[in-house]
Formats: sequence, structure tokens, C-alpha cells
Amino acid sequence: MRFPAVVKRLKKIVGADSVLEREEDLMLYEYDGGFSRGTPRAVVFPRTTEQVSQVMRLAGESGVPIVPRGAGTGLSGGSIARTGGIVLGFSRMNRILEIDLENQRAVVQPGVVNLDLSNAVARDGFYFAPDPSSQKACTIGGNVAENSGGPHTLAYGVTVNHVTGLEVVLPSGRVVEYGGKAAESCGYDLTGFFVGSEGTLGIATKITVKLTRLPEFIATLLAIFDRIDDAAQTVAAITAEGITPAALEMLDGWTLRVVEEATHAGYPLDSGAVLLIELEGLREAVEEQAEAVGEVCRRLRVRELRRARDEQERQRLWAGRKNAFGAVGRISPSYYVQDGVIPRTRIPDTLRHIESVAKKYSLTIGNIFHAGDGNLHPLILFDVRDPEQTRRTLDAGREILEYCVSVGGSITGEHGVGMEKNELMPMLFTDDDLEVMARLRNAFNPDSLLNPQKIFPTTRSCRETSGATLPGGVPL
Amino acid sequence: MSATGTAVSPARELAAIAGEEHVREDAATLAALAVEEVAPAVAVAPGSAEEVAAVLRFASSRDLTVVPAGGFARQGIGGVPQRVDIVLETRRLAALEHYDPGDLTLGAGAGMTLAALEEKLAANQQFLPVQSARPEVETLGGLLATAASSPLRHGYGGLRDYCIGAHFVTGDGRLAKGGGRVVKNVAGYDLMKLLIGSFGTLGVIVSANFKVFPRPRQTATFACDFASAEEALAFRDRLLRSALSPICMELVSPRAEEYLREAPPPRNVDDLHPAASVKLAAGAWQVLVRAAGSDAVLARCRRELGSAVSQELVGEDESALWRQLLRFEEAVLARHHNAMMLNVSLPLSAVGEALAAAERALDNNFMPAAVGRFGAGSLEIAFLPLLVDPPSAMQYVAAVSAFRSALPRDASAVVARCPREAKLHFDVWGSSPTDRECMRAVKRAMDPANVLNRGRFMTEDL
Repeated sequence: MRFPAVVKRLKKIVGADSVLEREEDLMLYEYDGGFSRGTPRAVVFPRTTEQVSQVMRLAGESGVPIVPRGAGTGLSGGSIARTGGIVLGFSRMNRILEIDLENQRAVVQPGVVNLDLSNAVARDGFYFAPDPSSQKACTIGGNVAENSGGPHTLAYGVTVNHVTGLEVVLPSGRVVEYGGKAAESCGYDLTGFFVGSEGTLGIATKITVKLTRLPEFIATLLAIFDRIDDAAQTVAAITAEGITPAALEMLDGWTLRVVEEATHAGYPLDSGAVLLIELEGLREAVEEQAEAVGEVCRRLRVRELRRARDEQERQRLWAGRKNAFGAVGRISPSYYVQDGVIPRTRIPDTLRHIESVAKKYSLTIGNIFHAGDGNLHPLILFDVRDPEQTRRTLDAGREILEYCVSVGGSITGEHGVGMEKNELMPMLFTDDDLEVMARLRNAFNPDSLLNPQKIFPTTRSCRETSGATLPGGVPL
Repeated sequence: MSATGTAVSPARELAAIAGEEHVREDAATLAALAVEEVAPAVAVAPGSAEEVAAVLRFASSRDLTVVPAGGFARQGIGGVPQRVDIVLETRRLAALEHYDPGDLTLGAGAGMTLAALEEKLAANQQFLPVQSARPEVETLGGLLATAASSPLRHGYGGLRDYCIGAHFVTGDGRLAKGGGRVVKNVAGYDLMKLLIGSFGTLGVIVSANFKVFPRPRQTATFACDFASAEEALAFRDRLLRSALSPICMELVSPRAEEYLREAPPPRNVDDLHPAASVKLAAGAWQVLVRAAGSDAVLARCRRELGSAVSQELVGEDESALWRQLLRFEEAVLARHHNAMMLNVSLPLSAVGEALAAAERALDNNFMPAAVGRFGAGSLEIAFLPLLVDPPSAMQYVAAVSAFRSALPRDASAVVARCPREAKLHFDVWGSSPTDRECMRAVKRAMDPANVLNRGRFMTEDL
């Protein structure tokens, strides 16, 4: 089928006002929060599961790739139409379908904005725990696809720990259910398997999530260090002490100065690093932990330990962290955020390594990250208009990830692989590992029309080999 | 293979892979490794992941069915297999692979027992929040494959929440992995989620990595009594809405109490002063609330739980009580070898109806006794046969089906134990809210020749 005929049928399914096809409209959908690019040939905004199913069927029949997209805030190109085709935007499937406090669950459509759900249940003393920095904009469907994290996932777990049920449209158009409101059910945990599959196994059209009780008491501390090494040691020491803060974030000296200029969060300009530490829970427990954290910080030569006196001060400390990427955007034409993970005992040497990489490639690299779970976010500053600088930036990023892997870590903690790091997957996974994953993808998405060329390296073919060894591959 | 093309016996092939001394065919061994009275033809204990892969390649190529086995503690779960060709024992894959106490992460072979793991972690006052009645028997692989749940599930989540990586071998013998060693990681598909609770039907787990936890320095257990299940549930809901975050919240039905009375055997055989049994109030619905923290935290719990508390247990009494609780199934089966045990997962709002439905099993000559994490939607219900008028095989079927029909559709009730004769008449797994055809597609992708635990899991075509 020629593409104009596909567009005609798309309009029939969702209505003409729900299909974009003009070049100037499509341009808005060619990027996400990272720096991958790809232009779709049409963008479609379904309103119902049935429409999603019909669009999927049409895409399958006409051999057109299809890519789901929430708010486009991702950082690894997961929602980018790498090979053209149809982008399925979920901004019109944004209803909270059910709030079930008795079962501590909510059922939402994929286009519901993360923070909107928390706001909807705050009055009742609950919230949705995963809190990516983009939570004012990002959607829960996108969180499910990427298995998103956030600062507070240190204590509460990432998205997969908060999803118990899904309604999924498979590439064949078939609508299936996985799990429900129960925390577990018998049979394979396809809910858990689906979360984080980056839109390659199906499209979630209904999501059942856990609601978490808001904490009774919160203490937010800002620990200011003269030396970054002491801050890094403090992170390992807090972990080893058996204290699990709700959040444990680190900003290095360079980053905190940039952030301070932009947001006036109150970070001292002459310090080497700050740790933002949040403790939550029972008042008695929080007070004791705050005491213990203070002791660790003092042992490791903290210059000053501040504690937010009220909610306003707390918000101010967090504003610096949450708006950090924006602050960096003020001073650099482009930046590249890495997402490597390392064991928490390796933070000091990894930071030193990042510093040496910055020197080697003559680049500025800031560090702002979820220190508590070892999830680094080195920010490499560059000018995307300068191809030579861009190449150096990518090389530096790769070298940092190689180091993370060499100390037992991973190439991505929460941003996903997408099209940004799919060629790096062999750093972590053998051919056999990838082959088994590809077999599973092919079981659900046999023609790879759903979000093609994501996760798997394109330099080697995982498809052909698996086709030959997988008998009875009945399309779902 | 011989030159004439006649098949060499599986035992000789397996000996070539794992070494003769690790292949067993004697009648006593095979009888001990029987699954629902179906004895295997041979047992092999590979010494490496590569050997496991070779065994499975061989099995797949010859259509030999394989039962992966750790401590053989939970092999009673599942359908009755038509035949078992090979029992693949993981006991030689028991090495500690890495342990970074400062990072709270650990990796170990699937054949390591929970007790061995606990010993390694104890040196740093750390632990894995999984408990077992028989930690010196149960292995990490077995606990993962059966998605073992225990009282700490309430406060720490389940294995799916803290298994961060796994190496495994697919049915056709490919050694692969998912995840890694770090606590946060989204690279590649989360294959651990598939393996956990797959009952050895998708792959043989050869090693796994975990996030471990600091052991609480102090805990206390508050036993609270209620006259009815409704009151116990209302108490649960109040507790779930409060600021308290207990690490365990366990329901014990009045009839279950008598199976918790027996003093557990001492953990240490040299122990000259084994714990006396701890007694709960008879005839009441009990809620056992276990809290961890400082004196101030425990005082707060005591204050908030108020008059509901009938007993507060600490120290050796407290440990003994939880060990007694872990042995619930064993205690039931020791007294009623023909009891039926159900593992029920359900939304919180359905717990009351499930308990009421269990009471109706009296129509089929069963008395129910229940324990479980009723604040996390997980119950273990024993259907105790009436001694004077034991149920017929068909009454087992009728009792299960009546019970299941009272549950909402996203609940599941797996029959974890029941007499073999009854098993032949119904599906021990029951329904699942998760699409069956998708499960089968996963099974075909991971075990194309269907050699792993054939005939035992819910993906079998019915």
C-alpha cells in the first residue's frame, strides 16, 4: 500500500483531525529530550484502545513502522520514528480511569502525565512514587516503556516496582491483558517483562499502578563539601551504614555553580560538591536517620550541613536539582547526558575517571546524579553545530560508559537504550544474550514494525538467526 | 554418538558432559528425585553453566524432558508429568560469585542454599529478605523459580523487586543473561521477571545477583487478637493508612493457630536450649505486626496499635514464632498428609471474600486454615480434610472450583499441594489474568522443544 492510501485509512480510523501529515507539523515530532532525530511520515492521536488496535493492524498489513510516543521527554530516542512511518501520540488518551484507594491502585491511560496522577490522589494521602525529573510533562505510558526512575526511586523502586497490570495492544492488533490489581498472579510475569521493553513488545493502553502512601515526615538535608572525593565517600558510607534515604543526589562543584546562577537554590558557589539527602517516613525514624547521616557527613569532613526548615526551603533545594538540565542549557548550545550505573563503592574512582576523560577530550563535563543508587548523569557540554566537537563528545561518552561496565556497572540506569545506545549493547551482552532477547521480541513483534531499530544493535542481525531456530513461531 | 547411528544411552552422554561421578541412575536416588511418583531415568549434576547448556542441548536434540532441581523442596507444585527423563541438579553451582557489602549487592550460583547465603551476609549484618522453613535445603534457584513468598514480603517486596540479574540456560541450551550487578539498570529486556515464578519452564537459572539489605538492629512483634475476620481486616486497613511501616503483617486464622504451636526444631543441632514454642491466643483471628527500628520507633508502634495488642514478642520468642509460622505448611502436612494447600494472590479488597469462600469448603468436607500477607494480597490457605468423613477426589475438585469462583478475575489460586489422585482431575494452576497465548509464545521462544518441566505448568495446551 502506498503511504497516501495509508494516511487515508488512518483518517478513517481516528478522524481527519487526529492525523498530522504536513511537513511543518511532522517536524515537531522528529526529536525527544536527547539528541537523536528521525522524521515520521504521519502522526496519529488515537482516543481508544480499539483505534490503537486498528492502527496497529493497518500498519502491519501495509508494512509501515509504528512508534508510540508519550510526551517526547525521553533521552534515548525511544519515541523517535527512526525509519519513518507512523508515530502514535497518546496525548488524547490521558484519562485517569479509576482511583481505587481500598486496593491502593489507579488505572490510567498511557497519556496521563506522571505528576497529574500524584496530584489527583494527594488529597487522600497518596502519590505515584516514580518521579523522573520530567514528571511535570512525561507520561505514565512513557514511564512504563522506559522503566523510568527518578530521585526518589532509591527507596521506593523504579516504575516496574509500581505497575501490577496492563492492557496491551500487540502488533497483530490483538488486545491482551497482563496481571491486574493483585500484586502478583500465577503464570509468567509479563507485566514485569513488558515494563522497560521500550515499546518493542506492544503498546500499553491501560496501566494499573500502585499508589503509595505519602510519608508522615520528611527531612531534607544539604551537605556541602570542599572536596568532591569526600562527598563521594559519604555516599558509600551512608549506604554501608544501612541508611536508605528516600533520595541521595549529588552535584559537583561545576554543576552546582551553574545551577546556582540560574535558580538561586542556595548552593554555596565555592564548594567542591553538594549532596542533597532526603529522609522520609515515621517521624521518629527520620530524626534518627538524620542524626546518623549527620555523623557520617562530619566524619567525612563536611563543611556545612543544612536542613530545610519548611516546605518552601525544601522546594528551593529541590528546584536546583530538578531544573539542573535547564540551567546547563543556559550556558551551552548543547549537552549530552549519560546514564551509566556503577556499584556505589566505585563512585570516587569513577568521578576521577570522568575528570580524566574530560581532560583527554578537552570537554567540560558536569556531574549531577542519583548517587544513592550509583546512577551517574555526566553532562557533556558541546556545540552540536560543530561536527568535530560532537564526535569528541560521543567518544567521551562512550569511554565513560566503558569504564562503568568495567567496574561491574551498566550503560543505562533509567533513560533506556533506544537508538542512542543500541550499538553499545555488546559492551554488556553476548551474542547469545541478545539472541535470546531477540527471540522474545520476535515472538511479540515478528516483523519488527513496532519501534524498529531500538535496543538491539543494527550492526549484527539478531533477526535472521532466530527465525531459523524458532519453530512454531505462531504470530500472536 | 556411535558410528552405526544407534543412540547412546542418555546416562553415557550425560557422563561425557558432566563426568561419570555426577551422573546417578541408582534406584534409591531416582526414587528420591521422583516428581509426583514419576521417577526420572537419570539425574545429572553439572558443574558449570556450560555443562548445563550442554545437557540441555542434548536433551532438546533427543526430546528428553528435564526437571531442574535445587533442594527438591517445592517439586510438589504443578501437574503430574507423563515422564521425567532427566533431573538436572543445580547443587554443584553453589559458589559465591561476588559480594560487595558496601554496595549491598551479591551474586551466587543457583545451587547455593539460603542458609549458606545467609551465613555470608551475616558477617556484615546484611540479609536477603526471603525466609524459608528449610533454609539449609532450599536453593536460590528454587526460590526464584517458584517466586517464593514469605512474611518479609510485606515490608521488603518480593524476589522480583530485588533480583537484579540472572544467568540462565534456555531449553535449547543457550547460556544467556538478563540484568547485571547494579541496583538500577534498564539495559535490555528484564529477563529476571520472566524467570521468577516460571517454575523452571523457561530456563535453568545458573546464577543470580541480588540487592541485599542491612539487617534491622532491633525488631518486635505485636500479636493482635480479633473476634472476627472483618475486625482483623478493618485493623489491616487502618494500619495500611497509618504512618507505621511494619516489615511483616501476617494474618493467622483461628484454625491455623493450632498448627503454629509446635516448637520448631533448633536451627543449630548443637543448641542445648531449643526454643520453647510460643503460644498465640486460641480461637481468635490474629494479626502479627513486626516492626523494626529504635526504641522510639517501637514505642510509637506500641502506642498506635494500642489495645489491639495482646502480646509483644522480642528476642528468641519472636524468632521462634516466625519460624513456627514459616513451618505452617509442613505442620499441616505432617498431620494431614491429604490436605490441600492453596497459594492465593488477590487484591486487598478481595481478602475478606476469599476467607469467607474458604469457610464454605465445609460443603466438601474440608476445614480451612489460613495464614498470609493479607496486607500485600497473598494468602496460604490449607484445606484440611475432615477426619471422620474424608473428601473424595471429586470433592477436592469441587472445593477448589467453588473457591476460585468466589475470587475476582485478577486473582489466582494455585494448588501447591494436594493428593496425586485429585491432581489428575483438575488444573492445579487455575486461571491467570495474564493472556495465556502470550505466555505460550514466551515458552516457545525460550524452550522451543518443550523439554523443561513438560506437563507441569500452565502453558501446556489444555
